[in-house]
Amino acid sequence: MEWYLRGVIKLNNIGKSYVTGSQKLEVLKGLTCTIKKGEMVAIMGSSGSGKSTLLNILGLLDSFDTGEYLLSGKSMSGLNERAAAKYRSKLLGFVFQSFNLIGFKTALENVALPLYYQSVPRKKRNVIAMDYLKKVGLEDWAAHLPNQMSGGQKQRVAIARALVAQPKVILADEPTGALDSVTSSDVMKLLREINADGITMIIVTHEHDIAALCDRTIHLVDGLIDLT
Amino acid sequence: MFNRDTWLEIANTVLSNPMRTFLTGLSIALGVFILVVMQGLGFGLQNGVQNQFSDDAVNSIWVDAGRTQLAYRGHLPNRQVKMRNSDVDAMFDQMDTVHAYSRRVRIWDVVMEHEDHQSNFPIRGVDPDHLMLENTTLTDGRYISSRDVAEETKVTVLGATIVEDLYEGIDPIGTYLLIGGVQFRVVGTFDDPASRWENKMAYLPFTTAQNIFRSNDKVDQIILGTGDMPIADTRVLSDALLSWFKDRKVVHPDDARGVRIENNNEEYERFQNIFLGIELFIWGLGLLTLLAGAVGVANILAIAVKERTKEIGVRKALGASSISVVGLVVQESLALMIVSGSAGLITGVGLLEAVSPMIDHEYFKNPQVDFRIALVALVILTVVGVVSGIGPALRAVRIKPVEALRDE
Repeated sequence: MEWYLRGVIKLNNIGKSYVTGSQKLEVLKGLTCTIKKGEMVAIMGSSGSGKSTLLNILGLLDSFDTGEYLLSGKSMSGLNERAAAKYRSKLLGFVFQSFNLIGFKTALENVALPLYYQSVPRKKRNVIAMDYLKKVGLEDWAAHLPNQMSGGQKQRVAIARALVAQPKVILADEPTGALDSVTSSDVMKLLREINADGITMIIVTHEHDIAALCDRTIHLVDGLIDLT
Repeated sequence: MFNRDTWLEIANTVLSNPMRTFLTGLSIALGVFILVVMQGLGFGLQNGVQNQFSDDAVNSIWVDAGRTQLAYRGHLPNRQVKMRNSDVDAMFDQMDTVHAYSRRVRIWDVVMEHEDHQSNFPIRGVDPDHLMLENTTLTDGRYISSRDVAEETKVTVLGATIVEDLYEGIDPIGTYLLIGGVQFRVVGTFDDPASRWENKMAYLPFTTAQNIFRSNDKVDQIILGTGDMPIADTRVLSDALLSWFKDRKVVHPDDARGVRIENNNEEYERFQNIFLGIELFIWGLGLLTLLAGAVGVANILAIAVKERTKEIGVRKALGASSISVVGLVVQESLALMIVSGSAGLITGVGLLEAVSPMIDHEYFKNPQVDFRIALVALVILTVVGVVSGIGPALRAVRIKPVEALRDE
């Protein structure tokens, strides 16, 4: 049982289907896996394999129909909206392909936003946000708006934003998808460093180079984990 | 929910999107502004028309004596019928109820002197109800009272033209005016916007006027107010009065001039209908403007929220609950509506206030808006705006962030 508890993420027979009109589409067909604390895992799969759905469920942005999901030892079954938001804000950090910084907020304000949703006072959250901007090497860019930055800089701001609330797990959806290869490897290096601090990293990608930089790769095929 | 941090966040969002804020604010401000101005113009029209027809807007029956046309019971035609105090008293004895009445006598061209100003004006002896029956607007002081009539006091209420000619800016109230060489105390002034003619009159207590300037007991005219009496009843009353008077004054029943009774209740009803029509028109106009404004506001807020789908997704992924996101959007539109709606309200009311003194047309007076109506309109617009913002906001938070945020 010990390995089981050590897993920061434990999925047991997760099933999810969508009903569109009269058709029922089974997206996840009983997914079981464990991701241990401090692991860096790549999730790969063709489109329609259920990657997005899995990421949504892992990120508590969508519910699942059957099975069990333990995050940091707590069951995530039947969470209401408020509880999901609370766990999201405490345990999870998100990094997106297109960065998704809020365009009308400065780098600092973007990084501080998760702390706003944890009701951290404004001065304190700006101090913390500045620390994380330093960590990604962008303290000089604090007052800039996202459209004044390069893609790599934007992704580093997004990573700082994902880190600022000290999550246990970072979910990255194609984090290098919009970056050139040099910038991509910089970003991966940064993610590796963060991972070295003990934060579990789950990276959805379709690039084998990126997956190769992770500890292991989970292949999704038609809503199931391909063990071959 | 309403702490300082939330408002800072709202201010930040609103001010960081100047174009969206400006467009939304403009549409709201414009909606309220147009509503206010339309209402003001409508009221201006209503005031003007009501003023113009105010003389006919009192339901009343007028009794006049004239010259006979037909020979009757030994009297030759072309005889002047004389209505006397005794006739009026007898008439009142015949009537069950009298809502309001005024006897009138008029004397032409009486010399009036105040200090070194002198001019000729007509005078009219009246009873207290004449104020209401002639629809006179008192501009200062008081009107002829029943005590004045009973005690034949020497007081007068002056029309606007006399005040202008004899007083030249001095307050006439309390001064003494020589009317036909007799001293009268000025107790009030009036303005009859519908009749320039009345404004040249000095009103005196009926008894005083009759005794000093007529020295007989003749009455020129009697006005009877009919109050809320139904039209059919007023017709019965005026017919009965006519035959009673003809009989008493020995006038042929078919004589059209010896005794005349005018019942203006039908005109009164017609004008009431016109006023009602104008009022309905204003309200219809107001409601339609409000509807148009509400649709516009709802539309722009729905678009604004739609445009923010991605931002909403990000906020959710960063730990915002759906409720807090909807709350943010709603509070934001609320703040925007209140600020820009008030701006529209103030501009509209200000414009009407500024323009109002410059407009003095026969059919258009005092364009003004009931502030309470404007406020209610603002509240309705705000509620509509907020409610219409909630729908798209709810739809936006229901979208799964990972899908909303993925690049297609």
